[in-house]
Amino acid sequence: MAAAPTRIDVLQLYRSLMRVARQFCDYNIREYTKRRTIDAFRDNKILTNCSQLSAAFSDGKAQLEVAKRRALVYSLYAPKVKSIMDIKPS
Amino acid sequence: MALRAAVLRHIRLPVQTLPAIGTRPQSQRSFLRLFSSHDDHLTKEEVIDRVLDVIKSFPKVDPSKVTPDVHFQKDLGLDSLDNVEIVMALEEEFKLEIPDKEADKIDSCNLAIVYIYNHPMAG
Repeated sequence: MAAAPTRIDVLQLYRSLMRVARQFCDYNIREYTKRRTIDAFRDNKILTNCSQLSAAFSDGKAQLEVAKRRALVYSLYAPKVKSIMDIKPS
Repeated sequence: MALRAAVLRHIRLPVQTLPAIGTRPQSQRSFLRLFSSHDDHLTKEEVIDRVLDVIKSFPKVDPSKVTPDVHFQKDLGLDSLDNVEIVMALEEEFKLEIPDKEADKIDSCNLAIVYIYNHPMAG
């Protein structure tokens, strides 16, 4: 098993996931990605077991790769009409 | 040399004094346009206001405690994950890309304001 991820690694993974979330064109998927990362990282905050930490960290990294690929593919088929939630009230 | 001087005399325009188009100071000023791309830099008050707005609209923050000197983790009781979220929200507000190394150092309102004010691309 790989060594336990350091605090910096965890925060970098968190930041990368949030950045990937920003790249999605679809409002719903963007919000879901943000919500899911926040919830998952909060739930796992209390973990202290080394192997559980590594497992959660590698799971997060795998999800990051998935999200990156999905963001790229979604951007190829971006809808022309923006969601109403994206339009700021003027 | 003489040829060069003759050609230059031909090419060089004689200096003309422009006729005074009235003596209104407004018309003189309208001819002066600043083409610098840096004159729309944000003022310090604007940066402070917008940063405080972003922090106050964070759901876990008590808006009454937010001052320009507040420390995210010590005064507002947030943790490092919330810190990352706040820095992301500031990135979105000011349309910046803050690198990870700098973002890790932004721990308090003060540092955020100073960083954004000094950033040339803050919009």
